[in-house]
Amino acid sequence: MLALMRLVIFGLILLTAVYLGVSWYSRRSRRRKMEADWEATGRPGDRDAYIGEGMAQYEASLRRRLIWLVYIVPVSVIAVIIFMTNFR
Amino acid sequence: MVYVKWVFWGIFWTVVIGFLHYTLPQHDIVRITDTYEKRVNPGSNALFWSNADTGEDPTATERDVFFIQTFRTNEKPMIYRNEDTGWGWPPYFKFNTSNLQAQASDLMSKKSAETAQWVAIRHYGWRNEFFSIYPNAVRVWAVDGPEVRIIPWFNIVVLALLAALAWAVRVRWRRFWRGRSEGSRDEWSEGKL
Repeated sequence: MLALMRLVIFGLILLTAVYLGVSWYSRRSRRRKMEADWEATGRPGDRDAYIGEGMAQYEASLRRRLIWLVYIVPVSVIAVIIFMTNFR
Repeated sequence: MVYVKWVFWGIFWTVVIGFLHYTLPQHDIVRITDTYEKRVNPGSNALFWSNADTGEDPTATERDVFFIQTFRTNEKPMIYRNEDTGWGWPPYFKFNTSNLQAQASDLMSKKSAETAQWVAIRHYGWRNEFFSIYPNAVRVWAVDGPEVRIIPWFNIVVLALLAALAWAVRVRWRRFWRGRSEGSRDEWSEGKL
């Protein structure tokens, strides 16, 4: 069962790296978009407050939660392959 | 310098295509003539044997491996090994070696048989007589005849996804470096402040 442990541990490390990367990239693009929005709408009020509000909306958004698919998709694919190879 | 570049890309594409050709599943239409097991002692060809850890001790140097002996539709022999890949590479997650051997034995059909039983066999890997390596059978099932054509949907999807991924990386890579060479463009450099 050493092979299974190796797969789980290295898989988890890899997927966590991907998760952190994607979530950093997504948050950064959202922030840039908010910065551009703030300028485009004629600079309403305080810049940091405007961006902060947008980022708070992002934190609660479906888009951010979809990043969990980074974990869900590979694990489901492995489960499907195991079933298709061995039990069909 | 241009030759260095050619050689680099030549080696790069040879490795990529070779890797995919070895790893992705392929289908053969064959007639199974025998199934057996044989003691193997992998040496310098150990890379092409799986020896997966599925309960047994993977450090043993000698072990018995199942083989499936077949003839292809062109009447040339093809021998497959039948080994677990377990949790390792390539990711077929194959644990049902013994069951597969039972199914393969059940589908035997010799040249002298009145109506030959043709079988589709899914496998990965290469057959090479010089290195004594064999493709690993993953699944067998009976088919109607030798002309059956199997469309490799799985490979189509995987290769399309790989191409899409490579394209996405390439586009971002280029954009990144173009952004660098043109210098920064923000509200300071554009004189908006």
